[in-house]
Amino acid sequence: MDGVRVGNRMIGTTAPVIVGWDNIGTVEGGPIKQFVFRWFQPTMLFALIAFWYYAPNSIAKTSTAIGIGIGFKVMLLALEWVNPRYESWSLTWKELVTDLFYVSLGYTVLAMIERYIGSDAVIEAVQHSFDWSKLAWFIGLPLLLQAFLISFIFDFGQYWMHRGMHNWYPLWLPHSVHHYITQFNINKGAVGNPVELFLIGIGIGGFFDFLPRAALLAGAMGLAVGTYQHINVRFNSPRWWRFLFNTTEHHSVHHSQDFEASRSNFAGTYIFIDRMFGTCVDGEAELLGLEGGRRMSIREQMTYPFTEGWKAIKARWGKAGSSEPLVVPAE
Amino acid sequence: MTGLMRPGPFSPAFSSHPNATPDGKAVHTRFIEWIWHITGSLALTPEQASKAFDRLAPLFHQPGTSHETSGDTLTFHKKDPASQDKMSVFNSGVLRIENAQDGPVLRYRLVSRALLYCFLAPLMFLAFAQVTVAIGKLEGASKDAAAEKPKEKDVVLPQNPIDRFLGAPAPEKPKKKKGDDEDKKPSPTASYVFAALFAALYVAGRLLEDWLAKRLFRKSLSEA
Repeated sequence: MDGVRVGNRMIGTTAPVIVGWDNIGTVEGGPIKQFVFRWFQPTMLFALIAFWYYAPNSIAKTSTAIGIGIGFKVMLLALEWVNPRYESWSLTWKELVTDLFYVSLGYTVLAMIERYIGSDAVIEAVQHSFDWSKLAWFIGLPLLLQAFLISFIFDFGQYWMHRGMHNWYPLWLPHSVHHYITQFNINKGAVGNPVELFLIGIGIGGFFDFLPRAALLAGAMGLAVGTYQHINVRFNSPRWWRFLFNTTEHHSVHHSQDFEASRSNFAGTYIFIDRMFGTCVDGEAELLGLEGGRRMSIREQMTYPFTEGWKAIKARWGKAGSSEPLVVPAE
Repeated sequence: MTGLMRPGPFSPAFSSHPNATPDGKAVHTRFIEWIWHITGSLALTPEQASKAFDRLAPLFHQPGTSHETSGDTLTFHKKDPASQDKMSVFNSGVLRIENAQDGPVLRYRLVSRALLYCFLAPLMFLAFAQVTVAIGKLEGASKDAAAEKPKEKDVVLPQNPIDRFLGAPAPEKPKKKKGDDEDKKPSPTASYVFAALFAALYVAGRLLEDWLAKRLFRKSLSEA
């Protein structure tokens, strides 16, 4: 495969990747369908922002956000059925059950662990020792600016964490499991080794039913943009949306079987962070995964980082002749 | 074709049973096997019977799938099948062409660990719910013993004039309500919800995959 030059890199030399917005697929159907799948994402974003901006204090709380998040995902699940991006990504019973198993971990086991040693414990510590007067300058900013700053700073951190996962073997091991998915569906974002899910704080965090309104707005921005990362829906998103925000097309390039393409589009919400650091590739891919698209079982996903980590330790410090790790990040 | 008029898959002598021991005796799990085994049969025309395995062969030419045809019996095994594999829900199976009284019949027994695990998942979540309740009780006991914390001071939170002009509600710190501590106990609700969800998914999957397998075989056999 020849590949396409993007900056200093050749994309699509080892697996097919479509580069450029003019070359990707578009929504097929009448004018109403075209309209809906062009404006759905911006409409939902502005609707969610308006809701959290004006919601009375009595309902502007985390439990409401969790309820909206679940309802939104169910709606997107229906959209996958109505207008799939690739038939080869159709949701089967097995895929649905597997995805929901990982979702259930987030709501049960991981939520319990986070309560004691994860993000919930951190939030509790912050809330207990929070001196509101010291943050008055921030709380006094316009609400939407506060929300954007929270969301952007969080995503900026996630960008470097994610990029680090693709560049440093100990972090790559727990993250690599997520890259064994061979198709996109709305709940695929939850698929991964629990160590990684814990590291990036996917736990639900519903224990504390109070968060500042700006944080809830920031969460809504993440929900209305980041949720689409793993969706199997064909959108004709407006150009400005694709310039600013991470899309399922961007993320499919990141999950591509092409090694160089998989080292692109690290941001979760704001793709312009990738544009800032030269890691953005506009396009899409259908063939996803590692090792030529081998689907990993749940059992292997649970043990893989540890078994591969052990192999790597033995290879470096153990007796000679140990096997090399299968999947190694570059740099 | 050889070996016609053999006993069916429900017979103890169906020696290619996936749970059969090396000496050919079926392990006595028959009464619960319906949980993760899908069995069925399809009537064949004599012409379909002679070409049945050739027509079904593309289903087993998939990554991670091995299969073997021996006379009137086809056995297959799958390891990490791709999501796009139409039979990815099954780990192994046996298909056999038999000559029944009304003519040739394709009988099959397909084994799915995904169905088994989905059947067991509600039990796991119910167990986790009990663990959650127990942790809540332990926490409750330790909190009762702890000293009461001093009352927090009321703080007026600032609001930007733009937000006030646009009509956003004024920010406020949450008031301490009676029963807040009770709310902070770990809740088993999520576990109960997922137990029910996986139970429903099991029933749906058991019926759906049975129907899909039959439809897939019928479609493949009817293709010229």
